[in-house]
Amino acid sequence: MGYNFCMVQTAANVRVKVLFFGRLRELIGIAEESGELPEGTTLAQVFERYAERFPKLGGFRGSMVVSRNQEFAAWETRVAAGDEIAFLPPVSGG
Amino acid sequence: MIWKSENRKWKFGKKAWKSLFAKKLGLGMSDEDKIALVREPIANAALAECVRAGKDGATVTFDGHVRNESHGRATSYLEYEAYEAMAIAKMKEIAAQIHEKFAIDRVAMVHRLGRLDIGETSVFIAVSAPHRGAAFDACRYAIDTLKKTVPIWKKEFFADGAVWAEGELPPTPPSAKSAS
Repeated sequence: MGYNFCMVQTAANVRVKVLFFGRLRELIGIAEESGELPEGTTLAQVFERYAERFPKLGGFRGSMVVSRNQEFAAWETRVAAGDEIAFLPPVSGG
Repeated sequence: MIWKSENRKWKFGKKAWKSLFAKKLGLGMSDEDKIALVREPIANAALAECVRAGKDGATVTFDGHVRNESHGRATSYLEYEAYEAMAIAKMKEIAAQIHEKFAIDRVAMVHRLGRLDIGETSVFIAVSAPHRGAAFDACRYAIDTLKKTVPIWKKEFFADGAVWAEGELPPTPPSAKSAS
């Protein structure tokens, strides 16, 4: 669990899983981690936490997408308990 | 192979052989579409074979393989990684879309992951249909959509380094829809 997840909050926290792929995974050296976030945190805010922890990640915000529970999601989407969130660089299969 | 000696008939019907084929390919037992991610070489010919049925008049296949150069640099090999659960879900979505849009019969869509050498197949798609037009259109749609929406990433290795292929940003849902 990352230290950025260790929140001292009165609001309810929800447990989520966060995944990174491709160049993003390589950049920060994390493929997957679980932790707790305050309920109502948006996907954009989840990313901001990582960007604070890994400043070089910030530059990629404009060239990536995010998924929630294996569906592409808007950045404003709020997390819920048990969510699987993934940060995805541009895809290059084929 | 099981020979039923008493009445001299093959005990294994066509369906059973197909299942055996599918099992060997790691594709599951479905007699319908075959959607898979594999780490071993893709069995192109077997896949093309398993989509054809009596009612079909055409099978169109797409064989995507590893090129020996990228932007003028000689490629040594490639490595593919995927968000596997989501990639399978997206490939199934594509199969469902082409069934809806085109008058096709069956679809096989397999992508390979891990290290691939020059000339090896990275993705193979086979679409069967009663008539060729639908099979051509559906196969084209499938590979074009796969390249835009399926979470798979390619890293290109050269003699003097490696880069992640540029790729395409998948379309994301509009913000309003996200409020839930």
